[in-house]
Amino acid sequence: MENVQQHDKKLHDSAHAQDALGKNLLEVKDLQVSFFTPAGEVKAVGGISYNLKYGEVMGIVGESGSGKSVEAYSIIGLLQSPGKVIGGSITFEGEDVLAKSKEEMIAFRGSKVAMIFQNPMTCLNPVYTIGNQLIEALKAHDKEVSKEEAAKRAMEMLELVGINNVEKRMKQYPHELSGGMRQRVMIAMGLICHPQLLIADEPTTALDVTIQAQILELMKQIQKKTHMGIIFITHNLGVVAEICDKVSVMYAGKMVEQGPVDDIFYQPSHPYTEGLLRSMPRVDAESYERLIPIEGTPVDMLNPPEGCPFAPRCEKAMKICLQKMPPYVEVGEGHRSACWLRVQEQLNKKKEAGGHE
Amino acid sequence: MAKYTLKRVLMALLTLFVVACITFFLMHAIPGNPWLSEKTPSEAVINALNEKYGLNEPLIVQLGKYLGNLLRGDLGNSIKMQKNRPVLDIILEMFPVSAQVGVVAILWAVLVGVPLGCLAAYRRGTWVDSLLRVICTIGISMPGFVVATMLLHLLCGTGKPFPALFVSGSLASYVLPCAALGFYPMCYLSRQTRTAMLDAINQEYIKTARAKGLKNKKIIFKHALRNALIPVITYLGPQIAFTLCGGFVVETVFSIPGLGRYFIQSIQNRDYPLIMGTTLFLAAFIIVMNLLVDLAYKLVDPRINLTKGEN
Amino acid sequence: MAEKKKAAFGSLQPDIEDILSWNDLPQGAFESATAAERESFIQDRKSVSYWKDAWRRLRKNTVAMVAMVIFLLIALFAFVGPFFVPYTHSQQIRGSESLDPWHYSLEDQNRISAYLEEHNGVGLMNPDEAVAHAQAQAEAEGKTLSRAEIARIRAQATLNQTGGGEDRKTAEDAVKELGIKHKPFGYSQAELERKAAGEDVFPHVFGTDDLGRDSMVRIMVGARVSIIVGICAALLVLLIGAIYGSVSGYCGGTVDAVMQRIVELIYSIPEVLVILLLSATLKPGLDEFQNSGNGPLQSLVTLLGSNLISMFIAFGMLYWVTMSRIIRGQILQLKQQEYVTAARALGAKGGRIIKRHLLPNCIGQIVTTTFLQIPSAIFLESFLSFLGVGVSAPLTSLGSICSEGLAGLSSYPYRLFIPAAILSVMILTLNLFGDGLRDALDPRLKK
Repeated sequence: MENVQQHDKKLHDSAHAQDALGKNLLEVKDLQVSFFTPAGEVKAVGGISYNLKYGEVMGIVGESGSGKSVEAYSIIGLLQSPGKVIGGSITFEGEDVLAKSKEEMIAFRGSKVAMIFQNPMTCLNPVYTIGNQLIEALKAHDKEVSKEEAAKRAMEMLELVGINNVEKRMKQYPHELSGGMRQRVMIAMGLICHPQLLIADEPTTALDVTIQAQILELMKQIQKKTHMGIIFITHNLGVVAEICDKVSVMYAGKMVEQGPVDDIFYQPSHPYTEGLLRSMPRVDAESYERLIPIEGTPVDMLNPPEGCPFAPRCEKAMKICLQKMPPYVEVGEGHRSACWLRVQEQLNKKKEAGGHE
Repeated sequence: MAKYTLKRVLMALLTLFVVACITFFLMHAIPGNPWLSEKTPSEAVINALNEKYGLNEPLIVQLGKYLGNLLRGDLGNSIKMQKNRPVLDIILEMFPVSAQVGVVAILWAVLVGVPLGCLAAYRRGTWVDSLLRVICTIGISMPGFVVATMLLHLLCGTGKPFPALFVSGSLASYVLPCAALGFYPMCYLSRQTRTAMLDAINQEYIKTARAKGLKNKKIIFKHALRNALIPVITYLGPQIAFTLCGGFVVETVFSIPGLGRYFIQSIQNRDYPLIMGTTLFLAAFIIVMNLLVDLAYKLVDPRINLTKGEN
Repeated sequence: MAEKKKAAFGSLQPDIEDILSWNDLPQGAFESATAAERESFIQDRKSVSYWKDAWRRLRKNTVAMVAMVIFLLIALFAFVGPFFVPYTHSQQIRGSESLDPWHYSLEDQNRISAYLEEHNGVGLMNPDEAVAHAQAQAEAEGKTLSRAEIARIRAQATLNQTGGGEDRKTAEDAVKELGIKHKPFGYSQAELERKAAGEDVFPHVFGTDDLGRDSMVRIMVGARVSIIVGICAALLVLLIGAIYGSVSGYCGGTVDAVMQRIVELIYSIPEVLVILLLSATLKPGLDEFQNSGNGPLQSLVTLLGSNLISMFIAFGMLYWVTMSRIIRGQILQLKQQEYVTAARALGAKGGRIIKRHLLPNCIGQIVTTTFLQIPSAIFLESFLSFLGVGVSAPLTSLGSICSEGLAGLSSYPYRLFIPAAILSVMILTLNLFGDGLRDALDPRLKK
């Protein structure tokens, strides 16, 4: 389990990854993250939990400011200064990530968990060549690797992500590449140390639609080859359907629904998820069907209200929704939803069952 | 790059031309004659003088002649300070002294200011940062003459470490003037470096570098510094000009026989050819320096496409 | 079954089984919420206005607030101070020349001269007395004293007084040995006598200069001039820069290109040189104009002096460039934004768009840049005045007072260092407050 850092040329779809399939790679429990701003505490993430198995791809969906990036940053220890994890736990391969020291975190980042970001235009250092930045990523975690070996690995990685003419690319500066190319370089940089988990923070948002499809296809391929876990953060449900095994829907720092991707799409059980789906264009929809936006604006995270944060925008809001945060309700195999409607259903079912008895 | 360079050089020449015209017309806007201020000479003398210095021809002809002379390096002759001595001669005699002081001042300002700025950014929020910020803010708030006179009063004279009179060539004489002259640019550059560093640290590529698992030192000194230095170079040009003009004060305070002090004296004595010549010379110097800094900037920043010229 | 799933998801949240065991669900919990209920649910933060928010941030910035208070004190000193001092900045008080900002009381002075007479034989004379004494002696011998000799005697007397004599006892030695202490503030002999006679004499707090002008009132007036020059220059820069920048940014296209070439040109002209050149060449013209009549313009020129006018001309010509660039940049950025397009689509005219939509959005940066122009204008003014090409008599500024003080630096360092300190503190506090202002007004810039 410990030999994550393999230096053989084979990508690590080797025996151990297969063995591990079905076990948990990452366990996040009741994670709470707050930003301590001068105006007060902003609860960016208010207690979320999920598990990710080896080789699983999970999508985290939500609108801007719902805390999805913050949540991801806290896994990799990149939270910026006013932000702080104030509760919960993150366990990666059985190790407590939050308990790691600074040095351990530096060794952990990049080697076991890699991250790629939204805007490939600004994420590569403009004054160093692609090759320099790739080799640097490798050398950060493998001090012994020789220069030639590192360059060779970097070129292999570039080839893996579908970049041609790699020798020339190695010597080029980021501004000489297109956006799609740069995102490929970012992915190559993330993969160069063979991490077990890749966190992709809206990796396609800043790209053209055609390039988006290419990058998604690439990520899918790479996932098949490497069997690494991926957390895919996005606000685009279409992307989720494309690549993910399961989906978590976040709203105002809370996880409102979680489940296998098919369940989420065909049996959404939270009004917010329903709203998201209705506001997404679909190819198979009847021509007269209209896109329905979700009315209203998200709640102020500075003083989040009691109760369900989505209640003010929810057309089915009930009195209880305004008073108490709903509990999670199992609505199917591995499919949970935090909505009082589901609680009501279960109560009714129970009552009926009780009545029959 | 060639096109860019050409464009910059043309712009610099145009600026020089404009400065030359400004000096010329300003001089001719002076009522009366340059030789009025002392005893009023007789009409015949004035006419003779006008004849001699070509002041009775049409303005445009004079301008043409003047510019033509400039191209040949002829800045005219001094009419008061050192009668009839060519201005260029005087400048070439005086300038090296000023240049020595200026170069040392700028050098120490850069060599100390930039690292201090980095240090402050690296240790941001700590007492080191606060201390440096206080010093640098005070530094940019003290006019040059305050620093210079303070050093002069505290450290120069009998029984003090530095001589009261400037002796050309004596090392001790140069220490305080250079220190005084470089203090403001040092503080300024340090502040700007700190800002540029913090700016760079907040860029996305730093986040990438952190996500790669690089060590903090490497992130700061490899990724942030190189990017931060690029804007700092742009501050260098104006600082060179500023140091040159700051030299006027420092030379006056420390009685250094440099061009700056002489320039101020020529203004007080209304030696117009000397004023104009010196202005033009210094302006040309500053413009050329700015040009060099500009070109250096484009060389350092790989984002500028070197083949196509403009970004 | 439920257990297993729970484990798989690893949730700490209560599951439905727990809820069902709750008995305290409120009555009617599952009825639809009314619109009013939903409305009251959202506790919006009170929306704070931009200025209020900025003020709150500024007030929290201790450094900036302390700087502001200090600056206000200096401003008070400069603007209100002169009304409380019975001297004016150009008034030469006879008999009170070259006073130190301290004095010895009359008894102490008597003790000092007694001590000196005892040790040196002859009473120590002040320079004027020494010269008069020497002249009387020379006349008696039928000679006249040359200028150089007078100067030498004067210097010797001064030296003796300030403690340069070799074996002679000096006033300083006397003070030391008798244990006499400085009394604060300067008084001349005559003033001390008047004071002793019960008259109310206003002290020369910072001493006086060679011409017997009260230093403190000069510094007050000088600071006032410096502040006014700074503010006027900043406003001038703001006016020209804002107009030029917004026109250039808003028009775009060829107009912008031409205007930017001009800006580039002006940017590369070394401005200090031009100011020096201007003040050198405008002076004769302005002097002539000043003597040409008695109109209000002429008296204005007389008041300001030609140097100050050329400085303002230079500011107006050269210094607005940075401001215009900032404003142009802001406007180009804002021009892309939708609300401007919307305003345009609604048929708003250019000028209106600039006034109503663009300027309010870059007001933070404009205020900051303008404000920071004040210390830099004061800085430049003092630089020029120090070189003798800035503010000139009859006006005075801190820079020119320092310049006057330079001559007697070794004997009267305070004549330079008091105004220099006030000047530096003034610029420092303005810079600090300006920084605070920038952080408060433009939170986007704050890291």
